[in-house]
Amino acid sequence: MTGPIWLLARRNLLRNRVRLVASIGGVALALSLVLALNAIVGGVATQITTYIDRSGADVWVAQAGVHNLHMAKSSLPGAVVGAVRGVSGVAQASPILYATETVSAKDQRQIAYVIGLPTDAAIGLPSTIRTGKAVPGPGEVIVGQDFANVAHVGVGDSVTVFGRDLRIVGISASEGNLLNTVVFVSFDDFAKAQRVANVVSFVLARTAPGASADAVAKSIELSIPGVAALSRPEFAQQERQLVMAMAGDVITMMNAIGFAVALVVVALTVYVATLSGRREYGLLKALGARGRVLYGIVLAQAGLSVAFGFLAALAFTAALAMLVPAAGLPLTLSIEPGSVIAVALVATVIAGVSSVLPVRQVAGIDPAIVFKKGVAL
Amino acid sequence: MTASGLEVRDVTKRYGDGATAVNAVRGVSFAVEAGEVVLIMGPSGSGKTTLLSMMGALLRPTSGTISLDGTVLSELGEGRLPDIRLRKFGFIFQDFNLLSALTVLENVAIVAELAGLKRRAAREKATRMLTELGLKDRLGFLPEKLSGGEKQRVAIARALVNDPALILADEPTANLDSAIGHEIMRILRRVARENSRAVVIVSHDARIRDIADRVLWLEDGEFAEAVELAVDPVCGMSVERAKATSAERDGATVFFCSRGCRAEFLGELTGSGSGQAAT
Repeated sequence: MTGPIWLLARRNLLRNRVRLVASIGGVALALSLVLALNAIVGGVATQITTYIDRSGADVWVAQAGVHNLHMAKSSLPGAVVGAVRGVSGVAQASPILYATETVSAKDQRQIAYVIGLPTDAAIGLPSTIRTGKAVPGPGEVIVGQDFANVAHVGVGDSVTVFGRDLRIVGISASEGNLLNTVVFVSFDDFAKAQRVANVVSFVLARTAPGASADAVAKSIELSIPGVAALSRPEFAQQERQLVMAMAGDVITMMNAIGFAVALVVVALTVYVATLSGRREYGLLKALGARGRVLYGIVLAQAGLSVAFGFLAALAFTAALAMLVPAAGLPLTLSIEPGSVIAVALVATVIAGVSSVLPVRQVAGIDPAIVFKKGVAL
Repeated sequence: MTASGLEVRDVTKRYGDGATAVNAVRGVSFAVEAGEVVLIMGPSGSGKTTLLSMMGALLRPTSGTISLDGTVLSELGEGRLPDIRLRKFGFIFQDFNLLSALTVLENVAIVAELAGLKRRAAREKATRMLTELGLKDRLGFLPEKLSGGEKQRVAIARALVNDPALILADEPTANLDSAIGHEIMRILRRVARENSRAVVIVSHDARIRDIADRVLWLEDGEFAEAVELAVDPVCGMSVERAKATSAERDGATVFFCSRGCRAEFLGELTGSGSGQAAT
């Protein structure tokens, strides 16, 4: 019995092209909002830990209570570096200084993770250098490609960090994200600017071959008082969770708005379509179509509108995911399968809910309407 | 009542209660045999459509029974009526009532599919019926591309596709010119004769009287027995001689449905200079 249902649903939709475009377009727009937002958040979640992921450290050691970089302040005595090196399972350890600061060049200002690197640093360096040096010396800075593109600067130009002009000596692959860029300065410049001495922000450690990062982190915490040590994946996870929690309310609200708009659009167009097709539904009733067939037509119309709207939204978001990085924007859209499935499920619910009123309307149609004169089908 | 056919027994339909109650149909009884064409005529508001709706199981009578092939329709539960309508009745309407989004073939085939035929079988059967009715070249057309006569032939094919026992036609010729109207009536007569189906037609159109086996006159919700009918020469409506306005012409009495038609008729006569007397 599904044949007549799908045939009529399809033809009813195609009969009024303007209404069809409005319906699918409205749903597509609303679901695009949800899918694109989730993709942006997914992209940010991936990008936000780029520096951590590519730092080369297996274990991150921070001040006790600090479990991430974003908006965190960690301060450890310089002696902790040696202490970490002495822990069993640690092959190598190197300190960094870290702060969130504004960097500027040629009228461009951007929030940045500023990393202070010792001249002999082996861990925590820029993962890939596009041009120039990998380790900055005094008065030097290495900026990310993202910032270099936006500020139109290159090697030899100046960038203001901590209120001081530093000369660009290297351009690294972008390790920033939508929220901030990453710049590298010398350990001494950082310490002077922040007026600190004999302290480090984090100690980055590489484990010996065969050693477990989690086990080493645990050993570090047990043997060095006042520190928190986390394996790199766990440290990155903590970073992502924090950012997601901060964006959580906004994401929830935008998702709710997107779904609500989609619901209203589908409900309205299916209701209007049903209203304008009252006499045809009455005819089908008079001819002997059962309620389930008529309700099926309404549901199928809503389902098709939502399905096409969803596919259009997915295509639009996928296109956006390709175009945004190609346009040189410091943004990655990551379309997560889980997000797509969740939106598809909610869209299905939207199709069902939006059919409730039209179905009630169809249920109440008197089949004798077919004998009313003067209104042709 | 025969084994096959329609029997309407003492059927009344009342709308409203108490002082505002209106009896649209009052104690109507009649039977239609398989193979018979019955024409129900009467003025507007006489209860024809209400009676047709009850015969088609679209409306329940207030009292009385309606039976088709021995099944008392008026006693069946709501859940069984769609099946009865689908398999036992074929409807033909004044406004054709074709589904505008479907092609000619789909309009007919979908009713067969609703009755349980597979898509291919339904389309084959619909194609056969439409071909028999001269619509072979119109199968893929949308209703809006058809003439009135073609639309009504599609409606007839749709009414016949599930081999119903009873065809109910509501003013089937009202939107058609005279020649096409007669063609439609001849088809309905053939349907009744060749396939032993009962055909009930409700109409104002006196031109189709000669096609019917019997003509029943419904007025104020009741059948009026042995009324003498005449055709209004202006509008073509059937009118009851005893109650109609009349005029004399060439020594014969002419009957009208209204004073307006009579005035128009007399005006035409005056204009043509024939100078006939009016009463």
